[in-house]
Amino acid sequence: MTKEQRLKKRHNAEKRFRFYGLASIFFALLFVLILVHNIFSKGSSAFMKTAINVEVFYDKDLLELEPGSSEEEILEADFFDITIESLLKVYPAKNMDEEDALIELFTTDAEIEIKKAFLNNKNLIGKKINLEITASDDIDQLHKGNYPRDLPEDRRRISNFQLEIYDVLVESKTITKNFNNYFFKNGDSRDPEIAGIGGALVGSFYSILICLLLAFPVAVLASIYLEEFAPKNKITDFIEININNLAAVPSIVYGLLALQILLATIQLPRSTPLVAGITLALMTLPRIIIPCRASLKAVPPSIREGALAVGASKFQSVFHHVVPLALPGTLSGTIIGLAQALGETAPLILIGMVAFVVDIPSTPIDPSSSLPVQVYLWSESAERGFVEKTSATIMMLLSFLIVMNFLAVYLRQKFEKRWN
Amino acid sequence: MELMNNVKIKSKNLNVYYGEKQALFDVNLDLNEKEVTALIGPSGCGKSTFIRCINRMNDVIDICKVSGNIEIDGVEINDKNLDVVSLRERVGMVFQKPNPFPKSIYDNISYGPKIHGKGETKSELDEIVENSLKKAALWEEVKDRLDEPGTGLSGGQQQRLCIARAISVNPEVILMDEPCSALDPIATAKIEELIDELKKTYTIVIVTHSMAQAVRVSQKTGFFHLGKLIEVGKTEKIFKNPDNKMTQDYITGRFG
Repeated sequence: MTKEQRLKKRHNAEKRFRFYGLASIFFALLFVLILVHNIFSKGSSAFMKTAINVEVFYDKDLLELEPGSSEEEILEADFFDITIESLLKVYPAKNMDEEDALIELFTTDAEIEIKKAFLNNKNLIGKKINLEITASDDIDQLHKGNYPRDLPEDRRRISNFQLEIYDVLVESKTITKNFNNYFFKNGDSRDPEIAGIGGALVGSFYSILICLLLAFPVAVLASIYLEEFAPKNKITDFIEININNLAAVPSIVYGLLALQILLATIQLPRSTPLVAGITLALMTLPRIIIPCRASLKAVPPSIREGALAVGASKFQSVFHHVVPLALPGTLSGTIIGLAQALGETAPLILIGMVAFVVDIPSTPIDPSSSLPVQVYLWSESAERGFVEKTSATIMMLLSFLIVMNFLAVYLRQKFEKRWN
Repeated sequence: MELMNNVKIKSKNLNVYYGEKQALFDVNLDLNEKEVTALIGPSGCGKSTFIRCINRMNDVIDICKVSGNIEIDGVEINDKNLDVVSLRERVGMVFQKPNPFPKSIYDNISYGPKIHGKGETKSELDEIVENSLKKAALWEEVKDRLDEPGTGLSGGQQQRLCIARAISVNPEVILMDEPCSALDPIATAKIEELIDELKKTYTIVIVTHSMAQAVRVSQKTGFFHLGKLIEVGKTEKIFKNPDNKMTQDYITGRFG
């Protein structure tokens, strides 16, 4: 082979390598795009909800309330009759079946919505007011264009009569799309139109908070001790190897451990953020210790020597110099560990967070759901409304993860000091 | 006979082991007060190991074991019960590579006095910082930017900052482990001038690879080879008329 041939071969090898690299990046981006597109196209509609404008008459006689009634009296009062009366006014129904079909256009919570509007303004008694009553899941999906109306009637959940009413409502613009506040503030529900991630958000927040409070101090102190103070011998080697092993243990194993110890032996309340937080802390601990130790290790030994040489004790050299320098790396490692914990599903399913919880937890020892488990729960539901809610929850979860990861990168870049 | 200064540091039968490997063999060396002693020898001969015994820096290395005696002012320092913190307050050290803390110039200097409880008030600390920087011949260059990071200085300035840091706790001895090996000739000249000035106040031990430097700055020179102290004496004598053949060969560049 001549010199020129060899040179050409070398250049070709480099070109080929660049091409493979570019192709890999292209494929990776393509898959990310497909994922993001899929989630967004399915989930974005969940942030809107369909409502039907209804004129509600707070009839004194039907409500059996007097002006100036107390809150308790109102809460006890029966709003069912005026709800039915108001809803039926939307479209003339000829018989009982048609009336039922008409009422099915609205959410089962219509009565509660009408009661709430009254609680907000107690002067409404004997008066008429226009309210936006949330539509049922089927109408919601139909209005968002997710429901195939060209199916034969016997294979549709919406009858021809209901479609007829819907078309009239669209024509008269009494049906509207609003921001879906229920999605953020409500707990789970069997009815997709009023189901929300409020409970899951609070549950996840408490779980991660408990995880942080337990895992962060333990992980940081363990890393500092192992890295700076512990003698290097077979025992510490053994501990180091096992921390790495623990970081790789499948998360479901931690779920089983929690089930056995936290729930069965210690008898902590099941399905609660407290147990979830402890389980996630166990799981996250080695995953935080590893980056913490790495960032301590990255502090050059000359800094330690410099401190020792002016007469700092070991403790002072570590806490005055090494730890502050390692802190950005420690924090970003912790945040990334927490981000992993936030997305963790399997152990939470085992400790019972998969239960159907309607109420939003007010303390960490109330039963609760969490974001990833909510995704799992809804993805198994048959109702069309839960398809978009599943994707929207994934969007929320992903945005939290992205924010946390950006925070980690930001902290590292902002506070990392250069020593040379 | 020429008047010699008092002996400040005395090592007797000093042996150092790194695990299985012995790094120093029965070193007996006296270092005089307010004098510069240069330690020369080929790489790995144990001269750095020796000075790291004087402030017990070898304690940091797990596998390092030191036996024998080192006395400062007649007090044994190679003693388990000795508090290394107060020893290192008396024996400062400057390293091969400048290693200022990634903090402000002011904090670099004030750190030592603070942890030793010197300079209770801000004005006392200010004074210590100013004096230390003046003694290290750095004050004029940095007095207007004391709050800038010490790591932003040039290599030579960083090394003088480290010397100022060592001076700040008012030690009796300053150990210098090849302080100029990472510096250019101009910065080196400045450090050497500084060493000349500092020896009026401090006992200085300097490890160096440059024989010219040893001649320029030191009054006494020790030659190490393979962990043994081969020859020690007045610098003039060592470089002009050494007793030992090996010293002769080393200083004339025949090996090393």
